[in-house]
Amino acid sequence: MKKIKVTICTGTACFVMGASDLMLLKEKLPDELKNKVDVAGCTCMNECKGDKNGMPPYVKIGDEVMHHANVPDIISRLTELVEGK
Amino acid sequence: MLNLNNNSANIKREILVRIAKLELAGNLVKGVHYIPREMAPKDKPPFRCCVYHDREILRMRVLARLGCSVEEYDDDKPLSEYAEEALKRKKPTWPMLTVLHDACNACVRSHYMVTNACQGCFARPCMINCPKKAITVDRHAHIDETKCVNCGLCLQNCPYHSIIKIPVPCEEACPVDAITKDETGHERIDYDKCIFCGRCMSECPFGAMMDKSQLVDVIQRLMKKKQKVVALYAPAIAAQFKANPGQLEAALLAAGFDDVLEVAIGADICADKEAAEFEERMHRGDKMMTTSCCSAYVRAVQIHVPALKPCVSETRSPMHYTAAIAKKENPKCITVFIGPCLAKRREGFDDKLVDYILSIEEIGALFIAKNIDVASYEPAPGKTIPTATGRGFAKTGGVSEAVKVRLHDKSILKEGVINGLSKTGMKTLAMYGMINAGKMPQPADCPNLIEVMACEGGCIGGPLVITNPKIANTLLAEYVKNGKQQEKK
Repeated sequence: MKKIKVTICTGTACFVMGASDLMLLKEKLPDELKNKVDVAGCTCMNECKGDKNGMPPYVKIGDEVMHHANVPDIISRLTELVEGK
Repeated sequence: MLNLNNNSANIKREILVRIAKLELAGNLVKGVHYIPREMAPKDKPPFRCCVYHDREILRMRVLARLGCSVEEYDDDKPLSEYAEEALKRKKPTWPMLTVLHDACNACVRSHYMVTNACQGCFARPCMINCPKKAITVDRHAHIDETKCVNCGLCLQNCPYHSIIKIPVPCEEACPVDAITKDETGHERIDYDKCIFCGRCMSECPFGAMMDKSQLVDVIQRLMKKKQKVVALYAPAIAAQFKANPGQLEAALLAAGFDDVLEVAIGADICADKEAAEFEERMHRGDKMMTTSCCSAYVRAVQIHVPALKPCVSETRSPMHYTAAIAKKENPKCITVFIGPCLAKRREGFDDKLVDYILSIEEIGALFIAKNIDVASYEPAPGKTIPTATGRGFAKTGGVSEAVKVRLHDKSILKEGVINGLSKTGMKTLAMYGMINAGKMPQPADCPNLIEVMACEGGCIGGPLVITNPKIANTLLAEYVKNGKQQEKK
């Protein structure tokens, strides 16, 4: 199976709203997800521009954008994706 | 420990961003009224009993972000009037903290409780070990609260882990017992005892302990452009944003500051002076010297450990020396220190060279409000590049390291570190005080240079940071390494 790519925005707006905690995602992944996920940081993805996209911090899981992201929410979405939902 | 980026921290930052946006648009007085309503809309589930209660609490949180004391809250006075006053304010107001009584949970007094995991065992170690005979067992153990002195021996001895301690988080976190309950059960801070370490603020799960912002004042100065405004950024700040060296300077200039100085330059001056002072003190036969850059620590000694006073280095803080450089260049400039620290607000209040203190949260909010993404700027490094050790001040062990490399004879040094003024840290301080006063023998391995950091991990673990200290540690290491490379050039 192809690995799911998780991209964490490390732009200023995301960092101010707690993105640094998301950078610890890799070490917090449960064992069953560890080999199925690639975690990487990226510069501002411009999701914060304009008000329609909700609140930072933003994370991309595959092609989906998650706003107001936190580690437990990312993990549960990843689990769903791995289970094919 | 609470997470750094918890709900109440995020609410605080959201209010700051909203205030900054309004002020920059020249619309603060009119717009501030709508902040609580926008943040607690009717279609979102309320956090408390109803959105109206949420809004009222938010209103008081806005007050603290405007730099006002919530204690002076007046139901009849609209937020717009507070905003007007904040815009006219000439300097920050005392004290640095404010307590939101309506958010304070009025937690029950710290106590021990027997849970139903108690098996009512035959050995009864809780009862036998209780020095006050406060425990009786009748199928289950019971604690007589009138006799209990909260020693915790029952908890330590129960083989079933059935006894728990219910703490009051802010009181537990306060290393100097400056927080106590008033007659209503709400917490009050005794500012004669408070060292402004900010632990209560970081540990209150209801966000009831708040610092008072100075962001409105600084934005006002930036917008009026009457005097030059100089940003002095603490070494810990470089580790807070994901960016390359020089980009933070560029971002601060884009935010409207006229000039930017790294406080690590002042840290270098501080380390030079402390190294010279240490050599002098050891030469004249002093038992020990402690560092003096952490203002929460200096205040802790002044108020709570007077026996250690003679040992505190007379060197001023990096903030002071950096502000002096800025004021020497332009005596009329406005100096704005940007740091992770609440105690610096206290220090800045007394230091004539420092006009305002911003937290990392506040400068972050200003960046968001102005759409500034630090990592997208072309680096604009400052004129003076500090040494790697000056930049290392932000981390525990960094200050003593900076002093060490400056000593002529490093063999005279026996360094010791107090990493965090928790209640235990305060006890260690008291012990050094006794040794210095000759009331306790000086052990052979007693350090003669003691670095004290009020926050665990150093300034990067400060109460007003935005970046997880683990990540900040890595970012700081990169920044310091970069300093070393610049030194070689």
